[in-house]
Amino acid sequence: MSKKISNNIRKLRFEAGEMSQQTLAEKVGVTRQTIIAIEKDKYSPSLEVAFKISNEFGVALETIFNYK
Amino acid sequence: MDFSYKEKGLIVSLGVTLLIFGWYLYGAFSNLSLNPELPGFVEIIILIIWVAVLESIIQGFLALKNKSQLEDERDKLIEKISYRYGYWFLSACIWFLMVQILLDARFDHLPVLTTPYGMFHLLLLFFVLAEVTNFVVQLYYYRKGF
Repeated sequence: MSKKISNNIRKLRFEAGEMSQQTLAEKVGVTRQTIIAIEKDKYSPSLEVAFKISNEFGVALETIFNYK
Repeated sequence: MDFSYKEKGLIVSLGVTLLIFGWYLYGAFSNLSLNPELPGFVEIIILIIWVAVLESIIQGFLALKNKSQLEDERDKLIEKISYRYGYWFLSACIWFLMVQILLDARFDHLPVLTTPYGMFHLLLLFFVLAEVTNFVVQLYYYRKGF
């Protein structure tokens, strides 16, 4: 079975006061469509964007992204 | 179905390309048996300007509705993949023509391959189809993800 990168950005946005996808996109420097694609596991972001998301929520990278 | 700004732009580009070049090439290939002269340079330039102007006008209207239209890494990656498909498609078509020339016009009963008019429009068709491939692959990846 092939491994896949999943994430819990939706949960982290909720915990960050229901932060909108647009707000997160603007803070990270991508489009809202990219955030939507990441949340749906349809796109794996670059390391740079992954770190920016991690910095935005103030949690470690492996807390957001899982590889299994 | 919810389309993003990028997808709407692609659909517009695809539509305009198919409509204008489709209309032109349909007319061109319909006249093939009459063995007409090559179209003028100005005629082709006007056609390309029409496509560019129409696309710009419609994209402009779309941009008015969407304020955040920056391009990010995902857009660039999808664009890169789609250009690769377009390139392979165009290469295959050009190789077909080269083999045809090497085989000394094996299909010489086809006016499209034996007259300059036919060959010119066949090449134009290949370029347009490569561009269409590019748009379709982009739309596919925006919908499907990867």
